[in-house]
Amino acid sequence: MEVTIKVFRYNPEKDKKPSYKTYKLEAIETDRVLDLLEKVKGYQDGTLSFRRSCAHGICGSDAMRINGFNRLACKTLVRDTGATIIVQPLLGLRVIKDLIVDMEPFFEHYRSVKPWLINDEPEPEKERTQSAAQRAIFDDTTKCILCACCTTSCPSFWANEQYVGPAAIVAAHRFIFDSRDKAAAERLKILNEVWGVYRCHTVFNCTMACPREIQITKAIGEVKMALTTGKLE
Amino acid sequence: MGLKRNVGLMEGLRYQGKGPMLTYYLHRISGLSIVIFVALHILAGYLSNQAWGSSTGLFINSIYESWIFQIYIFFCALFHAINGLRIVILDLWPKLIEYQREAIWIEWLVFLPIYSIALFVIIRSGLGG
Repeated sequence: MEVTIKVFRYNPEKDKKPSYKTYKLEAIETDRVLDLLEKVKGYQDGTLSFRRSCAHGICGSDAMRINGFNRLACKTLVRDTGATIIVQPLLGLRVIKDLIVDMEPFFEHYRSVKPWLINDEPEPEKERTQSAAQRAIFDDTTKCILCACCTTSCPSFWANEQYVGPAAIVAAHRFIFDSRDKAAAERLKILNEVWGVYRCHTVFNCTMACPREIQITKAIGEVKMALTTGKLE
Repeated sequence: MGLKRNVGLMEGLRYQGKGPMLTYYLHRISGLSIVIFVALHILAGYLSNQAWGSSTGLFINSIYESWIFQIYIFFCALFHAINGLRIVILDLWPKLIEYQREAIWIEWLVFLPIYSIALFVIIRSGLGG
């Protein structure tokens, strides 16, 4: 089948304004949008820029807006997009070139919630043990690949990039509810600030956009509840 | 180097968030409509009792009394109430958030029959039935 792919283009060295360029190419239904972008770059227009790395839905590099919705290009099949595909960069982050956005504000928020294990207690002889039930509480939020699909689909983040964003809250949730971590209060305090968790207006765009199918709004809800009740259960 | 961060209203509106995003927008639009309605209603009440502004007050009242306006404002009030209830329930019981799609379906299932009955009554009396 012939596929038409319309791609957002912007070269800061040449262009004053962004534009769209249309490419036509042959594809099969099981081709991924990333395959099409690779074909365009390899055979039609070598100047096209986009991020990609593992190409198997693990690294989270190739997040972009495909037909107006945040997805990973490596997980989106032509069968699901149809023969006309519009590819745009993620919304709410500064465009550096073509489909490449500046991820620094996103990672800044991620770092702000201290996404690492904090435990000052003396190390046990072997390991910090945890039951299956204790682990199950935060299992869902361990799956995040930091692709930014969620944060850049959030109207609250579009409105103001100071909002910590769903991905950072997911990262915080992963440690807040981890029985081995001892800094839940510290993280909850960060998320209780003006640009913290209460900027979430339960739009559910994040949950819908997550390529790892993490129940992000649920995780945010659990953090809100922990803040309200002061309990981690 | 690079473009400035800029998320325009139209660009945001074009995001394909589907069902949940539609309820988010409708909640904002209906909320704003209710606030404007109540504010103008108070103003109209005040103006109607003033010799200098009674005609303006009566004019605003005539808009409220039109059945087409009532269809709109009842949509706003009912949708805002039911959608708000859904959000409150999901906020209080985060475990239910897993079923947010179903929650939106239930919301429409509750909204549509009530609104249809009201629509029938308003249109019938509006057309002088």
